[in-house]
Amino acid sequence: MARNTYGQDERLETPFEFRHLLRAGVYLKRYRFRMLAALVLSAIAAATGLLSPMITQKALDDVIPAGDMKRLCFLALLLVGVFAVSIAFSTIRSRIMTKVGQDIIFDIRSDLFRHLQELSFQYYDDRPHGKILIRVVNYVNSVSDMLSNGIINVILEVLNMLFIVIFMLATDVGLSLVVLAGVPVLMAFMMFIKKHQRRAWQQVSNKNSNLNAYLQENISGARVTQIFTREEENAEIFDGLSKDCQDAWLEATKYSNLIWPGIDNVSVWVRAALYMVALLWLGPERASVGVVVAISSYAARFWQPILNLGNLFNTFINNIAYLERIFETLDEPVTVKDKEGAAELAPIRGAVSFEDVGFSYEEGKEVLSHVSFSVRPGESIALVGPTGAGKSTIVNLLSRFYNVGSGRVCVDGQDISEVTLHSLRSQMGIMMQDSFIFSGTIGDNIRYGKLDASEEEIEAAARTVCADGFIRAMEQGYQTEVKERGSLLSQGQKQLISFARTLLSDPRILILDEATSSIDVQTEQALQQGIDAMLKGRTSFIIAHRLSTIRNCDRIFYIDRGGITESGSHEELMAKRGDYYKLYTAQQEKVAFLN
Amino acid sequence: MVQEKKIKEAAASSRCLQWLFANLSGYGALYVLGIILTIVYNGMQLTVPIFSQKIVDLFLSGEESAVTNLEQHKDWLLWLLVGMVGLTFLRTFLVYHTCMIFERVSQGMLYRIRNRLFRKILNQDMGFYDRYRTGDLMTRLTGDLDAVRHMVAWVVRTVVECVSLLLSASIYFIYLDPIMAVSILALSPLIFFVTLAFKRQVAPMHQRLRERMSELNTAAQENISGNRVVKAFAREQYEIERFRKRNEEYSEARKETSLLWLKYYPVIEMCADALPVILMVLGGFFLMRGRLSFGEYVAYSGLLWTVANPMRNLGNIINEFQRFHSAAQKVMELDAAEPTIVTAAPSGTEEPLRGRVEFRNVSFAYGEREVLHRVDLTIEAGQTVAIMGETGSGKTSLIQLIPRFYDPQEGEVLVDGKNVKDWELKKLRGHIGMATQDVLLFSDSIDGNIAYGNSKMPASQVEQFAESAAAAEFIERMPDKYETIVGERGVGLSGGQKQRISLARALAIRPAILILDDTTSAVDLETEKHIQDSLSHLDFPCTKIIIAQRISSTKDADQILVLEHGRISEQGTHAELLAKKGYYYQVAMLQNGGEQVG
Repeated sequence: MARNTYGQDERLETPFEFRHLLRAGVYLKRYRFRMLAALVLSAIAAATGLLSPMITQKALDDVIPAGDMKRLCFLALLLVGVFAVSIAFSTIRSRIMTKVGQDIIFDIRSDLFRHLQELSFQYYDDRPHGKILIRVVNYVNSVSDMLSNGIINVILEVLNMLFIVIFMLATDVGLSLVVLAGVPVLMAFMMFIKKHQRRAWQQVSNKNSNLNAYLQENISGARVTQIFTREEENAEIFDGLSKDCQDAWLEATKYSNLIWPGIDNVSVWVRAALYMVALLWLGPERASVGVVVAISSYAARFWQPILNLGNLFNTFINNIAYLERIFETLDEPVTVKDKEGAAELAPIRGAVSFEDVGFSYEEGKEVLSHVSFSVRPGESIALVGPTGAGKSTIVNLLSRFYNVGSGRVCVDGQDISEVTLHSLRSQMGIMMQDSFIFSGTIGDNIRYGKLDASEEEIEAAARTVCADGFIRAMEQGYQTEVKERGSLLSQGQKQLISFARTLLSDPRILILDEATSSIDVQTEQALQQGIDAMLKGRTSFIIAHRLSTIRNCDRIFYIDRGGITESGSHEELMAKRGDYYKLYTAQQEKVAFLN
Repeated sequence: MVQEKKIKEAAASSRCLQWLFANLSGYGALYVLGIILTIVYNGMQLTVPIFSQKIVDLFLSGEESAVTNLEQHKDWLLWLLVGMVGLTFLRTFLVYHTCMIFERVSQGMLYRIRNRLFRKILNQDMGFYDRYRTGDLMTRLTGDLDAVRHMVAWVVRTVVECVSLLLSASIYFIYLDPIMAVSILALSPLIFFVTLAFKRQVAPMHQRLRERMSELNTAAQENISGNRVVKAFAREQYEIERFRKRNEEYSEARKETSLLWLKYYPVIEMCADALPVILMVLGGFFLMRGRLSFGEYVAYSGLLWTVANPMRNLGNIINEFQRFHSAAQKVMELDAAEPTIVTAAPSGTEEPLRGRVEFRNVSFAYGEREVLHRVDLTIEAGQTVAIMGETGSGKTSLIQLIPRFYDPQEGEVLVDGKNVKDWELKKLRGHIGMATQDVLLFSDSIDGNIAYGNSKMPASQVEQFAESAAAAEFIERMPDKYETIVGERGVGLSGGQKQRISLARALAIRPAILILDDTTSAVDLETEKHIQDSLSHLDFPCTKIIIAQRISSTKDADQILVLEHGRISEQGTHAELLAKKGYYYQVAMLQNGGEQVG
């Protein structure tokens, strides 16, 4: 799939199906007893509620014409009793369902988040992050009501409707059929609306997702926008996206708002038909006042659940657009995952081997082909070569951020695809170019490498990477709050903090991918001692452009054209007078300014 | 105390509403029309029962007259039925269009506020971004704004609906029978007390809920942005656990809020259900006494819901109002935020910027922490200046003062002899090309990223600048070349590739002042050489300020500065600084691999 941007709707291939709702059933299943209880309570409440028109009818037909005030009062008390039961039951039901509803949402969100943690880099690289975010937060919130009260209400309203139909039929079959004749008319109307409505609400979710993506990127990139004085232009793009949202919404509500008036009209037609039939066909002699009033009251009560169902149908259609997106994310295949019955990787010594490894990010464009090498435990390896040659790819494969296309990668002789990801990565320390800082204190950011680290350990790690000095210089020291986008720390300082973080995790295999690029030479020099101490006894892979960093490594791999073109120690490679030699002397030439 | 708090709350509420109405300007007439139509169609709602009542009275009740009426006045019946159907059609027609008016007004307002807030955010100074988290800002522009929209689209309409229904039904009730009417309406004032009590209790809950929402958003957002780090440390389980807590807190807050209404619900529902009981007893009594006709009884019973309706809607209305209230405060806060760095009035003269930069006695601090101390510096137009110094010595802070990302607390920064505060920001920044350390590319095509400063740039120029930045070669090798979409923050590209695109982007505006903040740290040396060559052969006059770690990048500069703890400790040319045998010399030695060179 091509990479998605804010300007592009995410297409959804799956057709509308109620199977999404069935699938949501998995989430409901956990709460089936509570939901069942709620259902029973509501059914009782509804059933008792239905007694009230019977009582009223009795009063109107018998008691009042008879002028029996006593019996009227008795009926009133009965009515109060009926209502009390109904209220008590529906209150309990609401309490249960409020909790269930929130629990279901909690479950869905947890699952979604859990799944997102398993998805590979590729997933995050292929779409704006704002589009992922909106699913986890906003979409899940939107479906909350539908899945809890919505489902219960549908069942209830349907039951309610059935009850009413039964009561109605019991009162007068002929007149009931008149009322029921409205149903097919309504169905046809709903089908018509549904066709348009669903597309329209998908559009709403698409446009909102685009807006969210653009918003997030602009907040992240505000500094760049300001320096390029693009504020106005971006604001116009945002206006456009905002307009799309507005248009999509208005288009969608155009259909949604039709449902209620539609049902209302049909219900009046039915009522009119009822009077016509009762009066003109049956005639006043055969139609008792009580029966007609009762039936028209039942008719009104019969249309109420239908009206409610219409509204529910409405929210279902809107929310299924969101639910589809949620399930789409949950269905996103996890490409890098633990194999069935994957073993835990035992504590490793740190031997690494690549056996005839091939890899491509995109079909037909091989980044690595037939790469083979093996590294002894404790060896330090430098990866050098032109940018984009595949240095980062090699370390990404070693950490199994991607699966190899062909061949295998082994750690301590064990194929890394056969062991659990957690046991693999937790024994590796990977420091990437982009040093991401989480909101929180500096101490917390370092602690990320080892969650149970003591203050002393954190400070020791910071000292090793020469970060202790500047951290202490801050007012709050290790307790200084930093923000994810904050400018409180310089890029070099961020790198030192993520360095400390990596160090603290005490990995057997250490990967430094341009880890010190923003650190000044002086600090790096001091840092070097720390690094040297750290490298001792650990296998390490270092990608760097400063040859001074690299020279001390045991072996140097020169990566170019999808593979290792040269390997050996600094001296060996210099003697070889190949690519490395050229690279090194080019630097030397430039450094030769001193002469 | 309580009194004071109440007054404060009331003031806050009225401020929110004032703000809301101010934002409706331009839609005022339409909105009023919507409200009037709401009243009209609710009034019409009462017509259907009148027709039913007439039908029952004329054709059903009263044995004798019903039969005669049916025999002699069939046309009446038909007219009544036609009227009933027709009026319903008219009413629902109005309902539909009124709903759409409310949608249009609320969407129009939403559109306006959202766009204004977006501009606000874009124009904020860096201090603002140090204060607000991305997830929180996003909550304000999405969830919070939606609560505001809901207020305009739903809450107001529902309140108008309830009130107008209740009022018109009351009038009709009174017209039919005052005593009956009073008995039925007797319970209505109770709504008022329940509202007060519930509102007071639920208000803080909504504030909490809103905060939880923002925290949830922030937690998810940072996790998504930091997904690489999470994976690198195999911290998925930890993140899941951490998110679970946020998720739980949010869930608890929502439960708490919803459950509160259920405490009031039985009372309110009791009142609503008392209505048919009252009607049956009193109405039955009046029927027996002949004071009420059957038709009138039916009319009462058909309209009872108009009195029950406001009661049943109360919980929702108050909840939504409070949601609006806590959200609006957050939105208003953002709306009122003014950047401390504001542009000076445009000068009118369209003279090009020459690029002379001067720092006079400049001191700068983030809060209490001073990062620059009394810096004096002059950079002539067209000069190349290199800045070196330890991590955290103030290099980035120094250059950020030139495009006014921050203002210094003391001293002044001048460009072409004019204080940067007196420059029109757009013009000043429009002439400064900057490539920052933390390369931020947008999820757009490479072409779009390079032409970020001038989106109308022809493709040939984009390619030319890519060439200057030594990026053309790798771009050409990509399958879609310049149309290749890069992911957010440039994922999918190597560090060196990102830096080169960012350099091309900075060059592409043909800046008078080019600021490169460690822009070549991740490119290999050959590439760097290429870049240096093209930088020295730019086809436009340009002052270059370069922060670098490598001597190879600095040695040809007209002036080299070394910063140490926010002060300039060394200044001069390559040869001068080497002779000085200070920091610069040491760095040079280190980079030469420690070999003593004569």
